[in-house]
Amino acid sequence: MNQKNNLIIGLIIAGVVVMSVNVDADPRDFAEGLPNIGIMLQEITEVDSSLFVTAFWSMLETIEMAFIGTVVGVAISLPLSLLAARNLNNKFVYVPIRALLAAIRTFPSILWAILFVIIVGLGPFAGVLAIIMYTVGFIAKLQYEAIEAIDADPMDAVGAIGVSKLQLIRFVVLPESASHLLSQILYIFDYNIRQTSILGLVGAGGIGFYIINYIKFFEYGKAAVFMLVVLATVLIIEWVSVRVRDKYIVKSQRGMQVKS
Amino acid sequence: MQEQKGSSSSSISTLSIVQMNNVSASYDSKDYVLKNIKMSITRGTNYAIVGQSGSGKSTLLKLINGMMNPSQGKIMVDYKIPNTSDKKFKPFMHKIGYIPQNLGLIKNSTVLENVLIGALPRVSGFNSFFKKFSDLEIDNAKKILKQVGLQGKAERQVYMLSGGEKRRVAIARALVQKPEIILADEIVSELDHVTAREIMDILAEAQATTKLTAIMVHHDLQLALEYADRVAVIKEGEKILEIGVEGDKIVDFQSGNYTQREILEMFSNESEE
Repeated sequence: MNQKNNLIIGLIIAGVVVMSVNVDADPRDFAEGLPNIGIMLQEITEVDSSLFVTAFWSMLETIEMAFIGTVVGVAISLPLSLLAARNLNNKFVYVPIRALLAAIRTFPSILWAILFVIIVGLGPFAGVLAIIMYTVGFIAKLQYEAIEAIDADPMDAVGAIGVSKLQLIRFVVLPESASHLLSQILYIFDYNIRQTSILGLVGAGGIGFYIINYIKFFEYGKAAVFMLVVLATVLIIEWVSVRVRDKYIVKSQRGMQVKS
Repeated sequence: MQEQKGSSSSSISTLSIVQMNNVSASYDSKDYVLKNIKMSITRGTNYAIVGQSGSGKSTLLKLINGMMNPSQGKIMVDYKIPNTSDKKFKPFMHKIGYIPQNLGLIKNSTVLENVLIGALPRVSGFNSFFKKFSDLEIDNAKKILKQVGLQGKAERQVYMLSGGEKRRVAIARALVQKPEIILADEIVSELDHVTAREIMDILAEAQATTKLTAIMVHHDLQLALEYADRVAVIKEGEKILEIGVEGDKIVDFQSGNYTQREILEMFSNESEE
C-alpha cells in the first residue's frame, strides 16, 4: 500500500517535470527575471495621484456592472436551480436543465465577454451580460446542490399534508436553504467584482480597460493607481460580506440548537 | 362492540378507520420489516403501537399515511388506499396529521408559519406564495397554539425553542390540518417524565374533544397503557399482542389467551433483552 502511494507520488512529480519541459516553464527564467520585479515596484511607487478620480469612477462602474450581473443572474438561476434539483423533479425535467447549466459553465466569464462584445459591441453592457451568464451557470449549480442537501424530514412531513409543489418550495425548500443561498449570493457578488475588474481587458467595460492600457504602454505607475483602487474595493467588500454573513447566516445555521 | 370481547382481530368493523389485512412491508424487497399485520383501529380511539427500536413501528405509521406502500396485503384508511404519490389520494392527505420522529419542523421559520403550513391545503397557490393567510386561518392557528400551550410564542423562531415546545409546534401543525387521524412517531421518547406527560395530556385532550383517532408509536409500554384505549405490541415485524386496560386489569384482545400475569411476564422478559 505504501509502495503504491510512493509510486503514485513519483509519477505525479515526473509528470510535472515532463510537462514543464513541454510548456517551456523553466525556473531559471524566473530567477533571471526577478530583478524586473524591482523595476516594476519602483515605477509603481511613482503613483500618479491625479488619476485617483478616474480610477474611482471606473471602479464604481465596475461595481455597478457586477451588481446588475449578480442580481439578474441570481434571479435567473433561482428558478433554474429549483427545476434542476433531483428531490423536487423527475429526470425529464432536471436532466436537460443540468445539461444547459453545464454548457453555460464551460465558458469562463472572459470568453462570454468576448462573445458579447461581438454581439452588442464594446462597453459595459457586454460585461454585464458576461457576468449574468457566469453567475447563472455557477450559482444555479451551487443552489440546486444546496436544495438537494436540505433535510428530508420537513420535506416528508409537509409533503404528507397534501400541499402543492409550489407551497412546498415556498414553505420548506426556500426557508430551509435560505442561509446557503444568501451565503452563495454574497460569495458570487464578491467574486463578480473581481472578475468584472478584468473584463475590460477584452473591451467589456470596467476598470480593467485602464489597467490593461497603461500596462501595454509600460505606465506601471498609472496602472498601479487603478490596481490599488481594486485592492481597496475588494478588501472593503470582503469586510462587508463577513459582517453580513455573521449577522444573518451564522445565526440561522446554528440550527436546532436549544436555547432555554 | 364484539371487539370489546376480544374474540377476534380479523373481524371487519364498519367503525374502523384503519383496516390492515395481512400487510407485509419491506424496504429492499428481501427482508420484511413488517409481517402479516392484521389491525383494525376503531374511529375515535386512542391507539398505541409499542415495540423496541427496529421492530417496524415507524414503518407501520408510514403505511397508514401512504408514504410507503405494502408489499403484500391491503390497507384501507377511511375506505381509501393511502398513497402519497397517487394524485387521487391528495385531497385526503390533510385528514392525516403525521408527526415524524424528528418532527419535520422548518427551523428557520416562526412558530406561526410552521403551524400555518397545516392550513396550506385550504389556501390558494397565489396567496400561499405571498404567505397570505385569511384572518380566519390565523385566528384558528393562534387558538390552537393556545390549546397546546404556546400562547405568546407565535413569532419565535423554531430553532430557539426547547424540545418540549418543538413537539407542541408539531402537534399544533397537525391539528391545524383539521385531521381525522393523528399519527405520532415516538413523540415523547426523548423527553423527561414531566414534559412527556404534558405532551401526552395535550394530545389526549385534543383527541377527546375533536373525536379524532390518535395512533401513536411508543417504546414505553407503561405510558402507552396509561393513555391509549388499545395497545398493539410489535416484535420483529409481527404483531404479537393487542392489549388494553379494563378496570384495573390488562386484557389481551388479540387472542384472549393470555392472562394479565402472562402479559406482564412477557414484558419483564422483553426489557431484560
